[in-house]
Amino acid sequence: MSIYSGLIWFCIWSTVGLSAAFALLIVRRWITQKRAPLKKARQVAITRSYLQRVGGFNHQNGGAGWPTGERLLAIGHLLLLLRGAERDRLIQLAEIDGLLVEVLRKCNAWRAARRIDAIRSLQQFGGDAAIAALRDVLRTDRHRIVRFNAAFALASFGRLPPPRETIELIGMPSRTPTRLDVAMMRAMAPDYADHLVRMLGDAMPHARRAAIVDALGWSGDHTVLPALLRASTSNDVESRCAALRAAAKLGHPAAGPWVQAALGDSNANVRIQAVNSCAALRLVDAVPVLRQMCGDPELWVRLRSEEALAQLDPITTGFAGTFSDPASPGLRSAI
Amino acid sequence: MMVPILHAAAQVIMVLAYGCLAVVVFRNAISVAQLMLASYVFATRVKPSSFSLDLWNRYSDLALPVSVIAPAYNEELSIVESVRALLALEYPEHEVIVVNDGSSDGTINALIDGFDCVPTDRTQIAVLQHTRIRAIFRSRKHPNLFVIDKDNGRKADAVNAGIGFARTPLVCVIDADSIIETDGLLRAAEPFMHDTGKMVAVGGAIRIANGCEIRAGSLRKIGVTKAWLPRFQIVEYLRAFLTARVANAEGNTLLLISGAFGMFRRAILLEIGGYRHDTVGEDLELIVRIHRFMRDNKREYAIGFVPEIVCWTEAPTTWAGLRNQRARWQQGALETLIRHRSMIFNPRYGRIGMFSMFQLVVEDVIGPPAELIGYLVVPAALLLGVMDPVIAVVFLCLTVLFGTGLSIGTLVLEEIQLSRTPTARDLVRIGVAAFVENFGYRQANLMFRLSGIRRHFRKDNSWAAVPRTGFSPMA
Repeated sequence: MSIYSGLIWFCIWSTVGLSAAFALLIVRRWITQKRAPLKKARQVAITRSYLQRVGGFNHQNGGAGWPTGERLLAIGHLLLLLRGAERDRLIQLAEIDGLLVEVLRKCNAWRAARRIDAIRSLQQFGGDAAIAALRDVLRTDRHRIVRFNAAFALASFGRLPPPRETIELIGMPSRTPTRLDVAMMRAMAPDYADHLVRMLGDAMPHARRAAIVDALGWSGDHTVLPALLRASTSNDVESRCAALRAAAKLGHPAAGPWVQAALGDSNANVRIQAVNSCAALRLVDAVPVLRQMCGDPELWVRLRSEEALAQLDPITTGFAGTFSDPASPGLRSAI
Repeated sequence: MMVPILHAAAQVIMVLAYGCLAVVVFRNAISVAQLMLASYVFATRVKPSSFSLDLWNRYSDLALPVSVIAPAYNEELSIVESVRALLALEYPEHEVIVVNDGSSDGTINALIDGFDCVPTDRTQIAVLQHTRIRAIFRSRKHPNLFVIDKDNGRKADAVNAGIGFARTPLVCVIDADSIIETDGLLRAAEPFMHDTGKMVAVGGAIRIANGCEIRAGSLRKIGVTKAWLPRFQIVEYLRAFLTARVANAEGNTLLLISGAFGMFRRAILLEIGGYRHDTVGEDLELIVRIHRFMRDNKREYAIGFVPEIVCWTEAPTTWAGLRNQRARWQQGALETLIRHRSMIFNPRYGRIGMFSMFQLVVEDVIGPPAELIGYLVVPAALLLGVMDPVIAVVFLCLTVLFGTGLSIGTLVLEEIQLSRTPTARDLVRIGVAAFVENFGYRQANLMFRLSGIRRHFRKDNSWAAVPRTGFSPMA
């Protein structure tokens, strides 16, 4: 066979093969469409069955042949609606019916994407078996992103391991923290504020230290304020900014003096963050300094000071014919 | 005497024919590689779920705030609905900056009346536009809506004006008549959440809205139009967004983020001076310039792509509209290539210089004339009896048959991975269009591209409008 005839046959067979695959997909879609009403009716029946069982009624189980996937779908919807004891009962029923077995098996799938799908299902369910499986994945999975997803699922149940262990397991020490790492630290803060404060005594890269300081703001625990005060005088700019952000999030007036002191910081980013925090903490005492800062050499400091004044000093600014531009808190904290 | 001339003519014809064959083989090889790489990316990616939404709802201030910049020109009838849809996008913190680019109709009044706008004193952080800003307004109903009224200066100038007023770390540049999916901003911003500061821009998949049900500036029901012209473009968009861009983004060689939807770090746009005003292909030029800037300055960077649909846009429904659009795209590509010609085969620009720019040359400089020559030379060579009919069949197979196969392959990928085509009947419609496009549409497109090349050499920079029919229920 010459190269030309080879090319011709390659074109023919590849096109025929792809067309056949496409035709099969069309047929599959057509069948799915035809079966849609039946599937919908079955979903209603499955949902009704589980609701009756949750309510303590013995449902005449006519659904022995209901597919596991459809059962999981129905339970997934019900989990969004039920709370408290009813929700716990539903999770128990799912475990009794062996529905989690399939999901747990998927936790060991070859493809990371499938394992993450399984983690998401477990996150939806909760319950002891799901949490045990998630902890196992967090400790043993070979793929960092899978472990990361398991950590987030555990965070949503408030069942994360202590910070040192979690940080190690999600591989934070070996890379620059991302915004998702910051989110993870924040998720740990309410349960492990004291651990995080102790960790600040360790030697670590500035970026991670800043992430920990930032997370303390999400702890809701005012006893972390001394640690934030110490961070606000750190040599590292990111840590100083993080301390100011955390103080603004905690919203405790005791942070007022050192937040105001940061308005005079030599670094523009710290001044910007201090201005934002003054606005968030409603520090009206800072208004005279903020007015002066409207003449700061740095453009962004001037802009944020104007925005803060618009929030703190509504008499001189605000909506009146032309109005100045108080950006929302999130937009303000972005820079 | 005649025999040597005929012989020489036959030699020339055959050389041209083999040259065209080489171009076709190269383009098909690239398309196959892209389809395979895209299939791999889709197969191994983590499918989107409500997970990210949950996360961002909980930690809303971790999602980087976004300014959506919507340039508008003579859109009096639809602008209020379009802006309402932009304000309703699901995102923790976003502001909308509508730039009225000197509309001659009542666009600015519609915005002022529709959103109760009053003048404001917002500071322009960077002046990137070349035209005069007339006024800046802010809505009293929606404090996150700003309207910039300026003299006419075309889309690039309007977007630059908007970038100058943005204060958020990210800016999303869209067409005012684009329909953004409600979670489109979230999806497009997601790569920035996983990023350590390298990501500078993200594009998203764009689909054809013709045939969809659009109400109040929002997509209500996906549909596939019965009209042939938009259907051909559906196939083209699927090929471009689901294979080429997914594959290119995987190798960090993405050269184009569509002007209809793109998300950028504001800082990088300011550093490079925003969009250029002197090109009709400003979206392509911008991304090439970002690559060049980052590599010239030896900075690590990434340009990402989100295969989920983020935006729906109206495709031209007339041949005249299509001609204007395609000629403009072709002209823009040539302008960009000539402006950045020093990047081509320049190892300093890595895979962008050594591969992507060369690919652009083959697609946009060599490709259209080669295709035209192929259409003329192969029948001539057959008639003269200097070409083996088997080679003519190879030509036919590689262009028509294999081209159709690649399109069908993209449809297979879409149905397996995204499955956003509403019904089996619609799948058939698109599949048929993938075959029929080879007979007429493709050739017409070639002529439009050649007219773009002609426009470029005539230095015709006038903006030929693409007539829109607008969205109506089940248009």
